[in-house]
Amino acid sequence: MKLIIAIFLGVLGIYCAVGVLFGFYFIFFGAEKIDPFMKETKKGVRLLLFPGIVATWPFLIKNVVNPKTK
Amino acid sequence: MGLNYQFVLWNKHKKMYDKIIVLSMLLYLILFAVVTLVFNSETSIETLILRAFGSLAIVLLHIILVIGPLSRLNTNFLPILYNRRHLGVSMFITALIHGGFALIQFHALGNTNVFYSLFTSNLDYNSFTNFPFQVLGFFALLILFAMASTSHDFFLKNLSPTVWKRLHMLVYLAYALIIGHVFLGAFQQETSPFTIGFLSVGFIVVGSLHLISSFREAKIDKSIIDKDAQGWLKVCTIDEIDDDRAKIFTVQNERIAVFKYDGKLSAVHNVCKHQGGPLGEGKIIDGCITCPWHGYQYLPHNGQSPPPFTEKVATYELKLLENIIYINPKAFEEGTEVEPTQIQKT
Repeated sequence: MKLIIAIFLGVLGIYCAVGVLFGFYFIFFGAEKIDPFMKETKKGVRLLLFPGIVATWPFLIKNVVNPKTK
Repeated sequence: MGLNYQFVLWNKHKKMYDKIIVLSMLLYLILFAVVTLVFNSETSIETLILRAFGSLAIVLLHIILVIGPLSRLNTNFLPILYNRRHLGVSMFITALIHGGFALIQFHALGNTNVFYSLFTSNLDYNSFTNFPFQVLGFFALLILFAMASTSHDFFLKNLSPTVWKRLHMLVYLAYALIIGHVFLGAFQQETSPFTIGFLSVGFIVVGSLHLISSFREAKIDKSIIDKDAQGWLKVCTIDEIDDDRAKIFTVQNERIAVFKYDGKLSAVHNVCKHQGGPLGEGKIIDGCITCPWHGYQYLPHNGQSPPPFTEKVATYELKLLENIIYINPKAFEEGTEVEPTQIQKT
């Protein structure tokens, strides 16, 4: 059981670490590629979005890699 | 609605609701502390903080869960629904204080990683009654974090409404985990009947309201509508719809809102493009259909959000014969202009 717990927490840690790295790139560069509203969005608001980007980065990363015209 | 994202889309009413939320939360915490210290003066400050914030989070979660069905059963509750997002974030912060404090108090004082300690301090995972209840609270908090951190229109747009909605429907899983967390915690650590009693009543109320509103909606969906010779469906008389309001009908498994405004009638698909809110439960404000959930607007004659916004809903054709409204069940493309049906003055 302890091994399963260690693996789970390791995976969770990696997920969060990747999310944090992606989040910094995304709020200042990547988000503008997929959402024109972000161009005029202030830094404080971008930081507000940061935790959500860390939580949902797998969904957002595919949009950055393959941006749609909106 | 704007051309960039704002920190919070506050208006006069939302500011008032937020003040009420904050003051009510503070009042609860003070009352909880006073009552606890009066009836159990030996309670430590750590335990008091844990229980005060934990119980407040549960109370808020119950309020959040009943707002939806209550506003479907009675439109007087709609103003509370508009502010549910802020209530949800407040609930998460409260739960985070409870969870963070529990982690510090019970798991941060040793040499082991706090999260590893949380999962391994009780390894009785095969037991029902002695199951490590704190783990359930941890998973509930993870869900609440994902929900609170994505409670912004940016995520609704960029995760897609479907993904966003599915993510936020996890609140029911979080609720189940929290019930398990509290029941097991109460069972293992205290014997107060109040906690279990409150949670049981809360569960019955939440479940009952959801069932009642579901039955009512199912009744609307199953209502039989007569057809005329051309296949138009007879829905209601003019008098059954209030001015600047709508009535919702289910036609070929789609919900349609028929609005009456300025001596005219128009029909649009009932589902708002923003978060799937019921447009037919909203009203006409400034000439626009206004979604009751977050105020997204559509022009009734073409189902389009006023420029520069781009949301569109499907429109439907209506006709009026002797005060009876008929609807053509064939939907037009989203955003198609349909001449409103004029109401003859008698």
